[in-house]
Amino acid sequence: MNFVAVLLMLLAGTYWVAVLEDWVSTGRFRPAGPVLSGLALLGRESLVPRKPDRIFFEVAPALLLVSAVLAAAVLPLAPGLILADLATGALFVNAALAYVMVALLMAGWGPDGAYAMVGGFRFLGQLVAYSMLIVMPITAVAMRSESLLTTEIVTSQASLWNVVYQPLGFVLFLLAAMAVAFLPPFDLPTAPGELAGGVEAEYTGWRLAVMRLGRAVLVLTVALAATVFYLGGWLGPVLPPWAWSASKTLAVAAAMLFVGRYVPRLREADVLAWCWKYGIPLALLNIFYVGVVILGVA
Amino acid sequence: MGAFGLAAAWFGVVVFRTSSMVRSALALLFSMAAIGGMFLAMEAEFLGVLQLMMMATEMAIMAIFMVMYMMDPGGLSGMDMTHQKRASLAAGALGALGALAVAVLADWGPIEARVPAATAQVRELGIEIMERSMLIFETAGVTILTAMIAATAIAIQSRRR
Repeated sequence: MNFVAVLLMLLAGTYWVAVLEDWVSTGRFRPAGPVLSGLALLGRESLVPRKPDRIFFEVAPALLLVSAVLAAAVLPLAPGLILADLATGALFVNAALAYVMVALLMAGWGPDGAYAMVGGFRFLGQLVAYSMLIVMPITAVAMRSESLLTTEIVTSQASLWNVVYQPLGFVLFLLAAMAVAFLPPFDLPTAPGELAGGVEAEYTGWRLAVMRLGRAVLVLTVALAATVFYLGGWLGPVLPPWAWSASKTLAVAAAMLFVGRYVPRLREADVLAWCWKYGIPLALLNIFYVGVVILGVA
Repeated sequence: MGAFGLAAAWFGVVVFRTSSMVRSALALLFSMAAIGGMFLAMEAEFLGVLQLMMMATEMAIMAIFMVMYMMDPGGLSGMDMTHQKRASLAAGALGALGALAVAVLADWGPIEARVPAATAQVRELGIEIMERSMLIFETAGVTILTAMIAATAIAIQSRRR
């Protein structure tokens, strides 16, 4: 029962993320938009480019979707509303998100097209930039909760949310989360207007629909992760726990989408340089600061 | 677990059966991921998840280097990657025999009847790393850091040149 409830909530959340993305990019609020464009994509022919690496080409969209769903599986929506409460949950989120990069690399290499290939390898470079900024802030979160269980991470924030306790980690995590989900200004692998869609360029019809769905689930997943790790997850007064999780997650997703609209796309070299020169030292500082605070409180 | 083992072995074979560098690297990734699945099946949750996470990035980065350095990364012109077949067959057979010998002959001690709970495993692993094995991890970490700095220093061109 819980399993179905969680899946339905993830599906509903994904739908709203798609509506939000449409809203911020076109400026029009169309609640039926994702259904219509999904049906339109399913109605079109799904072309296979000449001489593709067929296995990669077919597997990539599915792998993107699966890795996003797997990452969401260890994140709680409410007490008991979680697909798998792993003892290594906080680590598993990273493991699942690593396969997003594998999926995009496959999607880049598979179709045998120049734009796609550039997009795929760009995302590999992007991973080198953001991966430490995902792992290190989560480390500081786990330090406070003294557990990798995502449910315990939420309950550890009962007295004070992590966004207040370690604001630096929150900012770094949010930026890295946007880079994982290749949202603007980190949309280097797709880069509309420059790479003609990049990794998505050669996908059409239902394959593109699966890919877009995977991307929307991914945006929801990273927003949910930010909610669980920093915004107290389901914690909150009056409303039922799941409603708090849902509203916080959608608010984070909306914020991430909204910011991207007003920031120009960054250059690959800049992303790498800034992440390593400023991001990682700041993340280390965050870990040090949290350690000092924990020892001081103890 | 058997299924994961077979998958790991099969993907290991695929690594050498394909000429495409990216396929080869990603086949190795899925072989390693299957080993991660074996860890999970053995209820070594932390090790399994760590294996799944580390291998994804490592193998993908290996793929980009293989694409960079091979003259035919797509393997479209029928390049043959094998050489010294007899020597490598002999070495492979010897290695397999050696591994089998270790597996069969070594004294593994009494088999644990109960696996500790996953949370206890994480905790014990953390304490092990921070206590008995700390020196090993610190040494390895500093060595890798030194190598990274040295490699970067070599790679950067001097501005004066």
